[in-house]
This record gives sequence, C-alpha cells and structure tokens, in this order.
Amino acid sequence: MRLRLMRTVLIVAAMSVVGMAQNKRDDAVRKDRETVEPAGKWIYHDLPRGLAEAKRSGRPVLVVFR
Amino acid sequence: MQANGLDLSLFQFDFDLTFAAFFLNADKTIYGRFGTRSDQKDAMREMSMEGFDKALEGALQIHSRFPSNRKTLAGKRGPTSRYRVPELFPSLNGRFTAKLSKQQPARSCMHCHMVGAAMRKVYRSSRKPIPEDVLFPWPLPSVVGLRLDPKHMATVKEVARGSAAERAGLRSGDQLLSLSGQPLLSIADVQWVLHRTRATDRVSARVRRGTRELDIELALKPGWRSGGDISWRTTTWDLRRMATGGLVLEDLADAQRLKTKLGTRNLALLVKHVGQYGEHAVAKRAGFQKGDIIVEVPGLRGRSSETDYLARILASKMRGDSIMIGVLRRGRRLELRLRLQ
Repeated sequence: MRLRLMRTVLIVAAMSVVGMAQNKRDDAVRKDRETVEPAGKWIYHDLPRGLAEAKRSGRPVLVVFR
Repeated sequence: MQANGLDLSLFQFDFDLTFAAFFLNADKTIYGRFGTRSDQKDAMREMSMEGFDKALEGALQIHSRFPSNRKTLAGKRGPTSRYRVPELFPSLNGRFTAKLSKQQPARSCMHCHMVGAAMRKVYRSSRKPIPEDVLFPWPLPSVVGLRLDPKHMATVKEVARGSAAERAGLRSGDQLLSLSGQPLLSIADVQWVLHRTRATDRVSARVRRGTRELDIELALKPGWRSGGDISWRTTTWDLRRMATGGLVLEDLADAQRLKTKLGTRNLALLVKHVGQYGEHAVAKRAGFQKGDIIVEVPGLRGRSSETDYLARILASKMRGDSIMIGVLRRGRRLELRLRLQ
C-alpha cells in the first residue's frame, strides 16, 4: 500500500479528539500537525494546496478525516 | 482539515464515523469514499486495511481512465448544501468559526458528528418532522439484505433471506461493480447510492459473478430506509434528548419478558440509562427511573426498538408537545408525562 499512497496526494484532517482532558486535548490538536507534516507525505488541512499539488503532479488526492 | 470551514457541497459523508476518506481528482471530481461504521464500540467492524488498500487501487484505476469516465462519476457528488460550511448552521453559528483558536484549539475544533446533529436540529427547531433520509442517513447495505466483506471493495458476504437483495437474485461472492451506474470502491460508496435513493426507487447493479458480468435490479419497498438501526450513532444522543428526554432504551430480552409476563410481541423497552444533566435530564425530572419498562407510547404498536421509538416520535410529535408514556415499575403500572424538546 505504501507505493499506492505515494502515487496519491495526501491530505489529512483532524476529525475529533474525544475523551481527553481539555489541556491534553489542546496539546494533542497542536501536536497533530507537528507529527503529520514533517515526513513530507501529508498536507495538513489545506485543500487548495493539495488540489494544486494534484494538478501539478497529475496525481489524485486522498483526503482523510480521522 | 477540520470540520470547521468544511465545504459541505463537496464533502458529504457519514458524520458519525471516526475515519473517513475521499478519493478526488484535482478538479474536485469524486472518485469514491471510504469509511463505514455500524457499531458504537467497534468503530472498525466494517473496515479493514485490506479493503482500504483495494479502494486505493481502484481509485488509481479510475484516475488512469479520467476524464473519459467523468459521466459515471457525476452522481458521486451531492446537491449543493443549504449551508455552505458547518458554522453557518443555526445551532453552530456563533459557537464555531472557520479557523481554530490558537489558545484553545480542541474546544474550537468542531467534531464531525456536530454537523450531523445540526442538520437534524434545523427541522426540530422549526417544529417540522425530521425527514426520513436525515433521520436514517447513510443506510448500511444490511438494510437491503446485504452483508459486504470489509476486506474487499464491495463483495457480498451474505444475503439475508426474504430481503430485497435476495429477491433481486444477489448471491454470496458476487462482486458489486457499480450501483446506479456509479463505480464502487468501498462499502461507503454503496451507502452513498442508498443515501441518495428515494423511498421506492429501483437501483440498478452491475455484478461480477465468477467470470460473468450480470445486470441486476434491486426493488426497494416503501419504508426500506427506516429498517436500519441508528442507536449506535453519536448523533442519536441528541435525538434521545429530543424524543426520550435523555433516556437510553433497549428492547427487553425474551428471558425478562417471560419473567414479567409481557409476551414476545408486545412493546417493552427497558430504560437502560437516565440522563442526569440539563436537557438530557428531562425524563429524570418527569419521574422516569433506570429499570423502568416502557409498555405504551403514542403511535407505537407491537415489539419495537429504540430506533422505532425515535422515528415514530420525531415524525409525529414536535418540540414542545407532551406525551403520556405507560411504564411498568416493579410490576406496577404508571403513566408519566414527558415534554418533548
């Protein structure tokens, strides 16, 4: 599946972070972006950028809500 | 992306999921969706990595044929949403903005289930019945008698006896290639077609059986959609506030029915939980207790589920109405008045 993911522009979305204390939840949302983006495979909450990248590269887009 | 600022005309999906995905072209043509749920505790029962892998492969194949296949994909996009983004719904307006607060990102982050709840509140707040397709969104294939294999895109695992699927001639092992002309990448794509299907439509299916491909037609009877179960949905919590005053109900098991001499065909809904706070404590304040057995509800006849109760009350009684509910408590019959919200 890794190969297929690389053939796709990836956009990830934070859907919800349930069941944590408020401060922990705030930290989790802040850290989400930091953990997702550095590897360079995912675009975080930026659909226009994802679509532009898909247009440039000719790849489809995978949008994930989690 | 958060639900905040979400383009609701493009991203129409089951808002009670914990994982959802879209496969898109750069021009926003939808190739398919992924993500299905049927259980409150087990969010992954209808999903697998194998199924996701196959959906990804299928999306790449659709992409390789695009745009010659554009016509078959047109139905995958829904109608323009009345509310462009979630924060424009009346019940969310002023509570959320398009961007997260830097100080309190979690509190300002709208959960997807809030969008589904807001859709229903539009009707309830204006004292209108909640339409069947809003109350029973994203029907599972089981509503038409199909159990699909989560390890595949849309392959039939079981066909229920006497169901629409059986009458149409579908069999275990059949691979659904398309429904209503739309190519299928996942169980979610099957749900999308059902979600957009009217009360008594016929749904055409292209099926691969072994080496053959067949065309099959599913005939749906009136009321097919309300055969589904919505009790697992997070958004049902708010429906309980409206229709039960915060009670969680469960059809009384046969063994308990025998003990209480209620019979197996009669209405008997066990009060499993009584809400304790605010608008979820209306039933508590009306006198309902955990362990009560509800045996009479206006308009509800015979053995019924919590989903049946919610559908009946939300279709026939409006916010502000009161109903009398018959209850058994330790063998004694009581009548309790419940004000609906």
